[in-house]
Amino acid sequence: MTKASYFLIGFAVLGLVLNYFLNSYIHAILISFMINAVMALSLNFITGLADQFSLGHAGLMAVGAYTSAIISKELLADQWYFIPFTVVVAGLASAVLGFLVSLPSFKLKGDYLAIVTLGMAEIVRVLILNWNHVGGPRGYNAIVKFPGFLWSYSFGLLVLTITFVTFFRLKKSWFGRNLWALNEDDIAAEVMGLDLVKAKRSAFIISSFFAGVGGGVYAHHLGYISPSSFSFLISVQILIMAVLGGLGSMSGSIIAAFILTALPELLRSLPTGKVDIRMIVYPVILISMMILRPQGLLGRLELMEYLRMKKWNKS
Amino acid sequence: MENIISVKDLSIQFGGLKAVDQVTFSIHKDEIFGLIGPNGAGKTTVFNMLSGFYQADSGEIIFANKNINDLKPHSVNELGIARTFQNIRLFKGLTVIENVIVALQQREKHTWFDSLLETEKFYRTEKLLYDHSIDLLKIFELDRFKDHHANSLPYGAQRKLEIVRALATKPTLLMLDEPAAGMNQSEKAELNDLIRFIKDKFRLTILIIEHDMKVVMNICNRIAVLHRGKKIAEGIPAHIKSSPEVIEAYLGKRQT
Repeated sequence: MTKASYFLIGFAVLGLVLNYFLNSYIHAILISFMINAVMALSLNFITGLADQFSLGHAGLMAVGAYTSAIISKELLADQWYFIPFTVVVAGLASAVLGFLVSLPSFKLKGDYLAIVTLGMAEIVRVLILNWNHVGGPRGYNAIVKFPGFLWSYSFGLLVLTITFVTFFRLKKSWFGRNLWALNEDDIAAEVMGLDLVKAKRSAFIISSFFAGVGGGVYAHHLGYISPSSFSFLISVQILIMAVLGGLGSMSGSIIAAFILTALPELLRSLPTGKVDIRMIVYPVILISMMILRPQGLLGRLELMEYLRMKKWNKS
Repeated sequence: MENIISVKDLSIQFGGLKAVDQVTFSIHKDEIFGLIGPNGAGKTTVFNMLSGFYQADSGEIIFANKNINDLKPHSVNELGIARTFQNIRLFKGLTVIENVIVALQQREKHTWFDSLLETEKFYRTEKLLYDHSIDLLKIFELDRFKDHHANSLPYGAQRKLEIVRALATKPTLLMLDEPAAGMNQSEKAELNDLIRFIKDKFRLTILIIEHDMKVVMNICNRIAVLHRGKKIAEGIPAHIKSSPEVIEAYLGKRQT
């Protein structure tokens, strides 16, 4: 049997266990984790690998979420089995936006790109805010959902797997090497014959696509989206996940997404009195992480590489 | 003799400073051409214009019968010009072999399809790139460092690796910007041999900027001297050595 089939069986068993033994609160958190992981992976690819600082992933996510929601509601009569299709269209819509943003911005370097993408996200948010047809500030609700946890679990897992495998393979392919090179020294990379603008643009478009897909899954997971679900803070939160996992580490992003989705929920059990201790503990954990491991959990390495290195250092 | 590159009336100005002023020279095929001059003479600026980082204000650069004035650095490289840098620019976090592979792979045809599905072709190409890189590294005796990070190499090896990486782009003209900087005498001697060796092995034409007169006089077929952006002399090493203008540029006017 291949490795893939072991994983498949493992995840199927896990899904069934989760479905029958855990409540819908845990289910919802689990799907949120998958969405966060997709977003963190998408951002990590462009910011970690290619060193192009994007602060606009919430904007790309919003475009994906609204595209998917509008298409299923207006064109496909709220049928849940169309969700995979609308989510892909959502990704394409975000990719188009990513391409448009990349036209002017990859003449810029470093922090300027962060400003452009931040501006893009705000423009998207304000446009939606003023678009009455999709509810404006009231939000867009009653978006079709999957009929049960097993469905949304399988679909979320499928999306996460495809996202991870895509980025993981791109990272170790020629394309990933090009991105590493331009990350390390763009001038030298250019002299080696690498078309910087083309490489950065391709990376950004791919990243945008998956951000859109993440947004699409998000819309059909919650069934309700509003402009405030895609505020600047969401971009920052995605960024925190990518940084915590280690910029350039795809498996790190997934681990960090898991930690940062689960942690606030776990901290809910802390006593709430006059002060919400949760809001103190959470930042303290983040700050200590930054001091103890400034390169993120795994640095640039993937989980297996990291474990191998640890073992090697010990012996 | 056939010219591989000819530069005509090349000028560039930064603000009020004429960094390079009406410089003209041509390099013949298969020669080692030296570009020397005191600090700030404009040598590296000429390099940056040749490799596409600066756009010349006026004048033209003809390489392989093509005007390359307005080309971007990556297109210049595709035509067959490779260069190294005065302050070493390696991909520091990548391993030695990855540094070479990055340069090599720009000449390979890749498809997204193969890398996403990891087809047989993907593995075949990767293997090919790997083997080819090892071959190149072996020539320079760097293969034992192949899995080290580039920034952990000793200084001389870093210089060498930069040359290997430039060679990996399969150039016809190799431009070396102060390759002997920071080297000791024995390393410099080794470098001399190495430059001659790669010139024959890869059938290159070499343009070299160097401060060390011993190196320059030793290996160059012809030399051009820049001073304050202007070319003040050109010719064979013996001629340059005795040229009064050159001596004046380096040492100042003789007091009588």
